[in-house]
Amino acid sequence: MANQTPAVVMDNGTGFSKLGFAGNDSPSFVFPTAIATKAQAGGAGGSGSGRPAVANKPSFLTGGAGPGGHLSGKRGTEDLDFFIGDEAIAAANGPGYGLHYPIRHGQIENWDHMERFWSNSIFKYLRVEPEDHYFLLTEPPLNPPENRENTAEIFFESFNCAGLYIAVQAVLALAASWTSSKVTDRSLTGTVIDSGDGVTHVIPVAEGYVIGSSIKSIPIAGRDITYFVQSLLRDRGEADSSLKTAQEIKEEYCYVCPDIVKEFARFDRDRSRFVKHVVSHPGGRQVSVDVGYERFLAPEIFFNPEIYSSDFLTPLPEVVDTVIQSSPIDVRRGLYKNIVLSGGSTLYKDFGRRLQRDIKQLVDARIRASEVRSGGAKSGGLDVQVITHKRQRHGPWFGGSLLGQTPEFRSYCHTKAEYQEYGPGIVRRFALLGGPGGS
Amino acid sequence: MLLLDYQNVLIQSVLTERFSGAAPVSIDQTVSDFDGVIFHISTPETKTKILVSIQIRCFGDLVKYGAEDVLRREYGQYVTSPEAGYDFSVLVDLENLPADKEERDELINKIALLKRNAMAAPFEQAYEEYYQLREAASKFTSEEAPQGVREGGDVKVIQYREEEAIYIKASHDRVTVIFSTVFREETDRVFGKVFIQEFVDARRRAIQNAPQVLFRNDPPLELQGVPGVKNTGTGEIGYVTFVVLFPRHLTPQRMPDVISHIQTFRDYFHYHIKASKAYIHSRMRRRTADFLQVLRRARPDSEEHKERKTASGRTFRAQGS
Repeated sequence: MANQTPAVVMDNGTGFSKLGFAGNDSPSFVFPTAIATKAQAGGAGGSGSGRPAVANKPSFLTGGAGPGGHLSGKRGTEDLDFFIGDEAIAAANGPGYGLHYPIRHGQIENWDHMERFWSNSIFKYLRVEPEDHYFLLTEPPLNPPENRENTAEIFFESFNCAGLYIAVQAVLALAASWTSSKVTDRSLTGTVIDSGDGVTHVIPVAEGYVIGSSIKSIPIAGRDITYFVQSLLRDRGEADSSLKTAQEIKEEYCYVCPDIVKEFARFDRDRSRFVKHVVSHPGGRQVSVDVGYERFLAPEIFFNPEIYSSDFLTPLPEVVDTVIQSSPIDVRRGLYKNIVLSGGSTLYKDFGRRLQRDIKQLVDARIRASEVRSGGAKSGGLDVQVITHKRQRHGPWFGGSLLGQTPEFRSYCHTKAEYQEYGPGIVRRFALLGGPGGS
Repeated sequence: MLLLDYQNVLIQSVLTERFSGAAPVSIDQTVSDFDGVIFHISTPETKTKILVSIQIRCFGDLVKYGAEDVLRREYGQYVTSPEAGYDFSVLVDLENLPADKEERDELINKIALLKRNAMAAPFEQAYEEYYQLREAASKFTSEEAPQGVREGGDVKVIQYREEEAIYIKASHDRVTVIFSTVFREETDRVFGKVFIQEFVDARRRAIQNAPQVLFRNDPPLELQGVPGVKNTGTGEIGYVTFVVLFPRHLTPQRMPDVISHIQTFRDYFHYHIKASKAYIHSRMRRRTADFLQVLRRARPDSEEHKERKTASGRTFRAQGS
């Protein structure tokens, strides 16, 4: 029977968790990685140290009941009284529950909460018996191996899952790009631009291995674009400039233009480019908000960050170029040829095209300069290609789904028996899924 | 979350979204449920016709006990010929929905309960048998009842997992449901035992009218002579017996609830074993943090600020806490 059950693919990100079964083209569930527990402010989850807050006195001095009444003092089923995902956010709005985000900056910080989050997502949402299924999890690049071990401990010892594979999100995002018609060779070499809500990463990957020393991150991502739209709305004194409205405008109307100055002129010539966004408030009241230049200005902060931020001033194409230049010389050609977008903030229309053009300009300028310096030598040119594909939004999840349905996926996993034989250290290494010789 | 839901959350959410009048899109999702059940939600012909198919391992068993009648009763007009590779299919046309919001919600719930309804058939049949036997038995005193009435109906076997089965037997005064459970894991077996013990004790302590629960490692007497029941003697297989004895469980009004509850027993059982482990882990982490704190405090102060020398002769201050 174990041959029939589809593998479970879970991509737990800082903001959202994507859960589903391998073989599907979209995740079954996408909800916030949030857990609402019975509020004990300052109790478990505080201090940001990744473990429950430590009592002032050791528990044997306080008779087992630490301050804030930790679980040890409870004998009932309080530990099951929690919600995850959208329900958690709803519950936290009411009384009695506190909201926690167990993942910070892509890495799991609170294992207690994460274990319960997983348990609920498996049993309540996915409704699977973990003993029957293989699991494919994701991790951010540069995740410490200890975190992998902790994850494996939970999955093998708490859930007794049949098999486990932990893949790096960037590698899965590369695999997801195989669905694009532009990709022909299905290599795992490329540069991944992963832009979510909080931060944008540029990650070079060579044959399935992340070049950790060259990763760069940019503090501009989805949330900043929303703030920028909001500030533009406020400057104009629009009737509704809430964050939610700004986000709706961002998602619905924004696109990337080839040239800002020309775009301004085009807007002035053609008034139909200004649109109206209608916000309906609860209670039936409707407010109309004008949407103007922010349509192309908002995503522009990737390319001209100086219009938004005063402390980070390097445009995204330049960062990508620096990242590739700092990678080993023998993979640079592959990295330029396969620049893959992933994450919600890369979905703007023509984002890929603009990026490709700007990087190409940087590269060509450098090649020309070196041709001049060399005195007459001719370069064969360099191929720059940015891949835009349909699965960008949930790129890592989709890549996982793609790889998880291959027949050889199971042979790449570590099984429960192997775990028991070697211990948690076994998950420090995984054979490269979908690498050379693979699918 | 103490109890697990009976319905499949994904089917529910997909249908709720589709029924709310959103623009039709094509769907093609394969999702799994407990006990190796696989659902396939798709829109094979047009975007407005949603086909939900289910594949259950023990469908043959279920059909034997009248699953098709139950499903036909529940889904009536929506039943369609099963999709290839699946056991049962339901087709919903978005352009042809009940106009009433409540009726629509009910339809969503009904479809989300597909697995529960398919599995309900043998239970319903057992209930039916029980009513008949009770009728028959009421004509006799216990001594002179004929053999057939005293012994009750045949044991119904639902091999719902590869190594685990549900056995249902109706008698004139009770319905017995027996689960065989297998634990691969030594730890799980211990947890399971404690957990089941709690069921047994609950009856003694607090809830007097809870159904009787028995747990043993060898097949109970009811299962003697039933094919496929092995006694391994290793204690790997446990048998959990629920005796649904009380008239209040056996009324036709309570039947759907009782069936829903008892079906999810195995998943409930395993869920709670895992939840207990998570609880113990969180206490372990807590305790480790406490011990680390003690260790940190026990470190002598004087050493912390001493200047040290490296091999090359440079001095540095040791990092203290």
